[in-house]
Amino acid sequence: MSLTLLSSILVDGVAYAMILFMITVGLSMTMGLMRVVNLAHGAFAMMGGFLAAKIPVALGVPIWVGFVLAIGLVALIALPIERLLIRRFYQRDELDQMLVTIGLMFVATAGANVLFGSSLTSVPLPEAFHGTVDLGFRSIPRHRLIVVATGLVVVIVLWLTVDRSSFGIRVRAAVDNAPIARAVGINTKLIYAATFALGAALAALGGIAGAELLPMEPSYASRYLVTFLAVVAVGGHGNLFGSFFAALLLGIVETSMKYMVPQLASAAFFLTMFVVLLLRPRGLFGRHV
Amino acid sequence: MTLKFAAALALSLATIAFQAQADVVKVGVIAPMSGSFALTGQTWEGAIKAYQKLHGTTAGGHTIEVIYRDLPEINPAQARALAQELVIKEGVQYLAGLYFTPDALAVAAVAQEAKVPVVIFNASTSSILDKSEYLLRTSYTLPQMNVPVAKYALEKNVKSVVTMVSDFGPGLDAEKAFTTAFVNGGGKVLEAIRAPLKTTDFGPLMQRVKSLKPDALYVFAPGGPLTYALIKAYNEAGLKTAGVRFLGTAETDEDQLQAIGPDVLGFETGMFYSASHNSALNHAVIKTLHEVAPKAVPTVQLVNAFDGLHVIYHMVEATNGKRDGAKAIASAKGFSWESPRGPLKIDPNSRELLQNVYMRVVEKEPSGRYVNREFRTFEMQPDYGRTPNVSK
Amino acid sequence: MSAVMKPMAHVAPSQSRQWMSCHGEFMLLVVGLAAFMLFPQDLGLLTNMAAMSIFALSVNLVLGQAGIASMGQAALYGSGAYVAGWTALYLSTDPILGLMLGGLGGGVVALLSGAVMLRSTKLTLVMLTIAAAQLLLELANWASGITGGDDGLSGFSIGPLFGVWEFNFIGSTGYFYALGVLVLVYFLLRNLVDSPFGLTAKAIRQDPGRVEALGGRVYPHLLAVYTVGGLLAGFGGALTAQTSKVANLSMLDFQTSAGVVVIIVLGGRRRLSGAVLGTVAFMTIQHIASTLNPQHWLFVIGLMLIFVLIVLPEGLIGIVDQLVLLARRIGRKGSAP
Repeated sequence: MSLTLLSSILVDGVAYAMILFMITVGLSMTMGLMRVVNLAHGAFAMMGGFLAAKIPVALGVPIWVGFVLAIGLVALIALPIERLLIRRFYQRDELDQMLVTIGLMFVATAGANVLFGSSLTSVPLPEAFHGTVDLGFRSIPRHRLIVVATGLVVVIVLWLTVDRSSFGIRVRAAVDNAPIARAVGINTKLIYAATFALGAALAALGGIAGAELLPMEPSYASRYLVTFLAVVAVGGHGNLFGSFFAALLLGIVETSMKYMVPQLASAAFFLTMFVVLLLRPRGLFGRHV
Repeated sequence: MTLKFAAALALSLATIAFQAQADVVKVGVIAPMSGSFALTGQTWEGAIKAYQKLHGTTAGGHTIEVIYRDLPEINPAQARALAQELVIKEGVQYLAGLYFTPDALAVAAVAQEAKVPVVIFNASTSSILDKSEYLLRTSYTLPQMNVPVAKYALEKNVKSVVTMVSDFGPGLDAEKAFTTAFVNGGGKVLEAIRAPLKTTDFGPLMQRVKSLKPDALYVFAPGGPLTYALIKAYNEAGLKTAGVRFLGTAETDEDQLQAIGPDVLGFETGMFYSASHNSALNHAVIKTLHEVAPKAVPTVQLVNAFDGLHVIYHMVEATNGKRDGAKAIASAKGFSWESPRGPLKIDPNSRELLQNVYMRVVEKEPSGRYVNREFRTFEMQPDYGRTPNVSK
Repeated sequence: MSAVMKPMAHVAPSQSRQWMSCHGEFMLLVVGLAAFMLFPQDLGLLTNMAAMSIFALSVNLVLGQAGIASMGQAALYGSGAYVAGWTALYLSTDPILGLMLGGLGGGVVALLSGAVMLRSTKLTLVMLTIAAAQLLLELANWASGITGGDDGLSGFSIGPLFGVWEFNFIGSTGYFYALGVLVLVYFLLRNLVDSPFGLTAKAIRQDPGRVEALGGRVYPHLLAVYTVGGLLAGFGGALTAQTSKVANLSMLDFQTSAGVVVIIVLGGRRRLSGAVLGTVAFMTIQHIASTLNPQHWLFVIGLMLIFVLIVLPEGLIGIVDQLVLLARRIGRKGSAP
């Protein structure tokens, strides 16, 4: 394997992986912290992308501002969904959770169809994202480098805020033993809501960042559902670095196959998932079950 | 025909006999009215409305009533059930529509058993028409489009090509059709890349193409996110500037042209219809379409349905509104007429459409709209999938 | 009698099923015949309902009764369809043979995949079943020489049933064939579920640890249930392929798996009759909604699913149960002195 090929695989694989990571980290967090399986998670990414596409034009603001507004709006939408719907299912069977969120996904798809039409919508990029960067052996679109950088920033920020801060400790307390956490004065309801909204916001960020690779259209949520679930399952839910490495693993496996034997790329993705889950049922770094 | 079958059919027909007194001929259209392909269903509906506005709602004195049934995705069992319902319950004399090949195959069985003519508006696999003698098609087949594209490439001195198709039925058909014609003409295919359908990241694949340094890249991807991603990746990899010509067919279809935007400028594709086709008939039809269905986008689906209904009107006239499948099909064989896409003829042997294939290039009009502008015509191409490759 | 009548699932089987006893199959037959009389022109739809009901029953067994969280049942359904198609193309057009072989195909795939997957539980298992189904789909796509790839298997003809009744486009033979198989499957399944085998499966769903402690072996038992489920799903797939004369990749994909799970949840996943009820309800609503306003079909089904999960955890069959209870109570009051 030549060095050029190897470095190409790395560059493209990491970029793809970062997008997968950003979209799925919210799902992993919700699943790990709140033990809720939210199959409609892709819908948040989709909402982010669609809003980012429409807001700058509709409100006449710069694209940057549009992106931020879109993310914020998705977080706001997530709050009532958590409060009115998801909260009822915390105690229920995982399968029930999956099913109610499938219902939610259907509703979101139908809604997107009505609001944005059934064909592709492209998310316009700010000028700074256009163009390519020449790395010598090949050129890479500037936008992809920015995606990689964003992914890294997200991982670091999350690590600092969730894993290491007192907020994170409270969250884990709330999950491990809610009644006692409440007795100690931790506002579990607030934490659930905040975590869910944060997860949705991250998904929206991922959706916007990944809109070049995973274009926006109403069936987005169902089309990539299995891919997102695969990343979370392999990483082990609730584990930040698990998510990160799972995305890297799956992203690089699929990308290398695309370079070498494109026909088997998709099969390789699922085979990897299958094998990892058999060997390590809780995912690469999973601790909760 | 068993006695039971004849009796059952007679009973069904008797119950709708008095409807026939009102001299209404029903046409059942099975279309994707919801879901990811709803745009197609809407365009078909608009095309039919436009046709009936221009040509009236009667053919040979018989009123033509069009009924729709929704089939949003590939579901052969449901396709068959809908076809049965339309024939038995609604008493349609003609079936039409059908977006996906597996659905068309399921309906073909019904057509053959019930002797009901079916006009396919889209499903483009060559072999479908072999499944029943009651099938017609007013769309296209992949070999029909790809042989001219290969010839064009050879004309432009393209010696080496990399093919990149999505790994599914139509993609493989396209690859085979293009490759055979290209190689027969003396060209060389450096590599045949097959991209998994689930892939939206074409970056690595385009890098591979770049390293092979072909004269041209021939692609086939289904519409929607895949085509979009493919085109973006092609540009991002700098293939255009590296001088690798882009060759395709339906990738620049009008329904996604505006969404893809400047990335697709200068792309050359071969197809049987462009909304910008410069004929008085085409302009009139598009104008009417906007009047009856303001949300519909003029794409190839417009002429598919428009011409399909024209054939049905012809068959109704030929059978004088009576239910006679064999006579209807016989009248369609050899039928030729002027369509918004150009001259058309139904081949008397293969029942396939003979039509012009145009090479067109994507340009930006002063108004800011992107259009496919036709610049070369390959005349009256047959379906090369079922007719031997006769060079022209 | 206590005014507090707990939900059926908690009462011992023999008592809870008194109002149905062995009349379940009889009722199916009666309803099926009535449907034939009332809707003679919709036999295509009714046949599809019957075939889908068989698939739903298999998923009810696996998911509802035994608690095996599987979102990849389409793999078994699709396998059955393809095997039936190959049988008709290369072996014999006899429908019964195709049906049996289709069931066998589903059962074998279930046995092989279940052996590997069933050591895992819950969410891991769900993901594994999804991955396994996806891999089978990729395999089928790759082997397009024998599966027909995207276009699927088609052009096979089905011989007359028992050599006498031909399949025609009116669909009456097809319908009675499907209905017959449905009634038979229901009969077999009900007896299976009420037997010690079925009771063990339900016990495993409720508490696997307890079953192990009592000396039962969980893994082999679940594997057996999963295989039977595969067999039945194979029957459903074979039936669909034979009546529509097409076998296609869409029968293997995630949409199909998710769709059938939605159906059994809608109908009521703890009761076999829920599977049939769910299928009929789902397909009827889809039929009506799609004629009236196809754009919003997805809205309707999404909202219905959410509604059922929140308000009616027993599913639609719960409503039927309550109605029957009400009827009995009124009946009893009426006959009281």
